[in-house]
Amino acid sequence: MNKWQLYKLLRKQDNLRNERHPMFEKNRFMKFLGWFMFLYYAAILILLGVVMPAGLSGEYNGVAAFHVIDGFFLWVLFVDFWIRFTVQETPAQTVKPYRLLPISRKFLMHVYLTRSGFSGGNMFWWFFLVPFGLLAVMPLLGWWSFVGWLLGWWMLCIANGFFYLFVRALCMRHLAWVLLPVLVHGGLILLMLLPEKNCLDMPCTEFMYQFALGNPLAFLAGAALIGVGYYANFTLQSGMSYNEVAKKEEIKHASKMSFLNRYGAMGEYLKLEIKLRLRNKQVRTGFFVMLGMMVFFSAMLYFTDIYDGTFMKSFILLYNYVGLGTMTLVGIMCYEGNYIDGLMSRRESIFELLRAKFYFNSALMLIPLVLVFPLTYIGKISVWMNIAYFLFTIGIIYPGVFQLAVYNNNTLPLNQKLTGKQGNATQQIVAMVVLFLPIGLERLSVWLMGPVWGYAPMMALGLAGICTHKIWLRNIYKRFMNRRYVNMEGFRASRNS
Amino acid sequence: MNIIIENLRKNFGEKTAVNINQFEIPSGQILGLVGNNGAGKSTLFRLMLDLIKADEGRVLMGSTDVSQTEEWKSWTGAFVDESFLIDYLTPDEYFQFVARISGTPDEEYQSFLARFEHFMAGELIGQNKLIRNLSAGNKQKVGIVAAMLLRPKVLILDEPFNFLDPSSQSAIKNLLLEYNRETGATILVSSHNLQHTVDISPRIALLENGVIIRDIDNADGKAQEELENYFKITD
Repeated sequence: MNKWQLYKLLRKQDNLRNERHPMFEKNRFMKFLGWFMFLYYAAILILLGVVMPAGLSGEYNGVAAFHVIDGFFLWVLFVDFWIRFTVQETPAQTVKPYRLLPISRKFLMHVYLTRSGFSGGNMFWWFFLVPFGLLAVMPLLGWWSFVGWLLGWWMLCIANGFFYLFVRALCMRHLAWVLLPVLVHGGLILLMLLPEKNCLDMPCTEFMYQFALGNPLAFLAGAALIGVGYYANFTLQSGMSYNEVAKKEEIKHASKMSFLNRYGAMGEYLKLEIKLRLRNKQVRTGFFVMLGMMVFFSAMLYFTDIYDGTFMKSFILLYNYVGLGTMTLVGIMCYEGNYIDGLMSRRESIFELLRAKFYFNSALMLIPLVLVFPLTYIGKISVWMNIAYFLFTIGIIYPGVFQLAVYNNNTLPLNQKLTGKQGNATQQIVAMVVLFLPIGLERLSVWLMGPVWGYAPMMALGLAGICTHKIWLRNIYKRFMNRRYVNMEGFRASRNS
Repeated sequence: MNIIIENLRKNFGEKTAVNINQFEIPSGQILGLVGNNGAGKSTLFRLMLDLIKADEGRVLMGSTDVSQTEEWKSWTGAFVDESFLIDYLTPDEYFQFVARISGTPDEEYQSFLARFEHFMAGELIGQNKLIRNLSAGNKQKVGIVAAMLLRPKVLILDEPFNFLDPSSQSAIKNLLLEYNRETGATILVSSHNLQHTVDISPRIALLENGVIIRDIDNADGKAQEELENYFKITD
């Protein structure tokens, strides 16, 4: 078999690996949603590409529309970079199954890095760039300039992709590496925003213009960026693929959490909840990313006035409350799918587990309660509003989201990144409802009863839910047990082992 | 605790996984379950543990239908595969979890755990190693020990000799025999290892396509020949 045939074979297997993943195969809705979102965003980009040339010409008198867009190319790359966290895996993860086969490790790494570089994802912006370029670049500079300009953008997207892969690989070593792009992007944003005049605007425009003019130095610079990215990834990820194979974790000190011993069996399930979050990369990362987002949005609300609108204040407050608990609870029992047989062979263990989840996630709500306190202190959010959301989340949103324990039957991997294959239709719908319905209720209540008494119904409902938690948890447990065979079969079928 | 299987049927599509009309395992018996791959051993165990739904029939532990209550879980210990293990705990934590959620005092389970010291060979306790990072053999040991930890009246082990080194295989055989003698527990063990099965089981059920085709009395230890003949024939 020559290298080209081997390349095609690896490409085919890589595609099959995704298509036949037990989680993805089982989940038709996610396949549909994936395609729907793809077409939706593609249509939006095409629409923007068609309407923006005329719009920008009117807005910026005398400046060609493509110069305006080129001036924003760093922003586009920032967005492009962060979106990749949800859709792209690293080669170190994908080469693992081939390590023992008689295929050169270097060849494997070249295959996967090349595939990453030339993946369709790097051409997604073309949905915008092609119509935009046809309307804004070609009429002014001609066909070849349009092609050169488009190639320039593509090269930068590829280089950006390699930067993402590099950061992503480092993050697998330690999550703190996520600060690298935060600092790089943050630094560039400060350079663009702080001086009176954006000092990166002109260089960006000029750089992209050189592509349109066909300046070989611009292409050389683009190629150099890609080359550096490729080489850095090759070096880093080759080493990482060894780590993937010989992955070993040893906990330095297994905390006994003896303060929970007084709660008997419940204490043990609480320990399990805590360890679930601390010892599993997938769960831990999600937790800290949510925490980071909460701090970020709260800081934005505290230090700036851009989110001072009524809706945004409610949204940020709600986001703080649902971020840590509810967004994980949407997938309630899915992590437990990994060891469901063990749990099901213990008497009433699911009921105790559900109780522990309720107590643990209720305790977590103290974090947003405290985090929002500075905002109440400066008067941006009223104390009543804060307490109302606190109680409403625990007493009303939780009982709603906990219902998913009856129906969820897709196992989620604990320690492995599974991009784009998580969740099902019900979970997505519940997540959307949770993010918007409470705001509607709050606004309606405040509109009817005023800014103080308007929060009373939320508080009362929340307290009622909290006081009756044993009743509704017992009800969920009974319904779970009635559906147990369907659920256990689902958990087994979607387990990635 | 005796176990009664009544008209138990389970199909996966066209394939019959389990089809047993009547089978009783008296209290205190060690039953060895043998059969080729796909014969239905693990499915039978899962049906007995109420982990999958039977198309027909039922399993009784004493007078309790396992699909109707959870009462039997208090006196049953089992290890079928890794989905019984919470792999982000250390073995110590897992044993403690299993014991405490069942209300067993720490001293009691720890003194019982001491019996397994030779079997665990110093590789499980006090190691600060998560279960997911253990070797297949050590994971198997964690599962077996956890299943026995609460001194169950019914013990169900699927392929307990798999992945174990020879000395551990010998150790687990002795532990099972000793446990049975001491507690009178009913023990069900499936295995592809005929020698080990014959060594510990006074009764052996041979499963083929979900049906128990032979119920072999091994009180005199002479089932080996019959089993070897069967497996040679099917080869």
